[in-house]
Amino acid sequence: MRSRLSWLLLPYVCIFAFVAPARANEKAEPDPAQSTYWEPIRKIMFGDREILDGKDVLRVYLPLRADDASTVPVTVKAQIEQKPDYYLKTVYLIVERNPSPAAGVFHFTLDSGRVQLETRLRFEDFSHVRAIGEMSDGKLYMSSRWVRAAGGCSAPNARNYVPPALMGKMKFKFEDETIKYDEPALVQLMIRHPNESALAGDFDPSKVARFVRSVVVSYAGKPVMTAEVDFSISENPSFRFSFVPHGAGELRAEVEDTHDQRYMQTLTVSEGQKLPGG
Amino acid sequence: MQMLIRVFLVLLFMCAAWVRAQSSAPLPVSEIAPGNFVHYGGLEERSAANLGDNANIGFIIGNKCVAVIDTGGSFALGEGLRTALRARTALPVCYVIITHAHPDHFFGAAAFRGEQAVFVGHQNLPRALQQRGTFYLKTLIRDLQDLARGSEVVEPSLLVKDRLELDLGGRTISLTAWPTAHTDNDLTVLDSSTSTLWTGDLLFVQHTPVLDGSLTGFLSVIDQLAQLAPAHYVAGHGRTDQGWNAVLEHERRYFQLLADETRRALKSRRTLQDAIETVGVSETENWVNFDLFHRRNVTAAYTELEWED
Repeated sequence: MRSRLSWLLLPYVCIFAFVAPARANEKAEPDPAQSTYWEPIRKIMFGDREILDGKDVLRVYLPLRADDASTVPVTVKAQIEQKPDYYLKTVYLIVERNPSPAAGVFHFTLDSGRVQLETRLRFEDFSHVRAIGEMSDGKLYMSSRWVRAAGGCSAPNARNYVPPALMGKMKFKFEDETIKYDEPALVQLMIRHPNESALAGDFDPSKVARFVRSVVVSYAGKPVMTAEVDFSISENPSFRFSFVPHGAGELRAEVEDTHDQRYMQTLTVSEGQKLPGG
Repeated sequence: MQMLIRVFLVLLFMCAAWVRAQSSAPLPVSEIAPGNFVHYGGLEERSAANLGDNANIGFIIGNKCVAVIDTGGSFALGEGLRTALRARTALPVCYVIITHAHPDHFFGAAAFRGEQAVFVGHQNLPRALQQRGTFYLKTLIRDLQDLARGSEVVEPSLLVKDRLELDLGGRTISLTAWPTAHTDNDLTVLDSSTSTLWTGDLLFVQHTPVLDGSLTGFLSVIDQLAQLAPAHYVAGHGRTDQGWNAVLEHERRYFQLLADETRRALKSRRTLQDAIETVGVSETENWVNFDLFHRRNVTAAYTELEWED
């Protein structure tokens, strides 16, 4: 899986560096269907597969004008429940004008509950953001949103220097103080990590940019959210998602970065217990 | 045909001369304390019309030489500052001090290359310039186009780790390198002979304060600055007749509210997007450019404070 993502991303680092003209002053929202950026990305990621209108399947929410291009909150919400015979399996999150457009590929299960995913993105230029949902029957659905924000990939990302001792420190934060069994719980996984952008001005091209590339979260031994991600995710990566606990269990996050460092965080969760978050 | 070419060449020459005259017209400066000359930048956004004239910059003249403090947002502005300086003294410029790595403060530096001056900055300045310089230059060219000509990043050769005294002849200025606050490379300049403090962007007047370092750090630096009682001061942006304590308190109130409300949002488990829309809005009327900077400050505050335990 890991190598597949790298394979997806690499050509873009090269292609976009030369081809994409910066049209950062674009004021009006361009038609996502007319985007010249999208076609080559679609071909590489999805080949000839048909992509259907996704408004009844999943929606993507972003501020129209992002105030800080290095940290733009994004939310993807499924419009349908996860049912055994039909569920949202994968969400591809794409910032089409970023030098490496595939920000992340997120996998969900029946134990994820109705899919809700929030993270923070870097933007190199004004861009359409596309969320493509792959259903359990293999069909693809797409929603998109236009965002005005520029300079997040090559712009400064060293505001909060991460001391080596804190590298990989993680936190779980719950939306609610307690959970109820068989009901979805929203939890945020925070990872202390610079998530270096390979496009930042100080980046030495002979080195491998250090960023989180995989996140695996399970509850009571069953996967609830698995992601392959990229440096389009902001520093100190944050992922908020839901899972459905059917009883007491261990919430476990395993994270790996491009320098092969692995980090783990666990939290035992049960009904009625006060959960971290406030 | 030859005639046309000749006319064209003459016109071209006139244009070039006009542009040159424009770029090196002296910037207006005021002597706010003996030997301390300030050019007050505007509060509006950077544009080709203002050449990036958005920060307060200036110089201090000693008996032996001159120290320049910040150089404006483009080479053209640096030239304008240099022309203003040359209208007042023939003494050499011995130091060009960059208060921090933001483009509205340093892009005029190259205008002082010919002066044989030593470029001075915080010990973290070179790293910040290296990380951000290319990006800043790209956006400067995007905004100013041809008028950005000559603007470049000048590496400092004299770095301040803690404190440094510089002798201008009959006048010593002290430079202080601060812990991370507005940025991680903030430097202030004190001319003790007139009790004039050049704060860089550790002090904002009128203009919405900007957070690009650490909120807790900024609040603690403001407390330390409050211990000083300069008779005169030059803020990084904006001007007012109010005294030191009043302007510093105005800024402190903004950052304290930002910290308090962000912590409250975190405590009540609200998301970043929610915090961006609600934190600090009661300050809207108190500052210029609030829409441009405040929400970014909330993002910076939230992503810093969410790691507090």
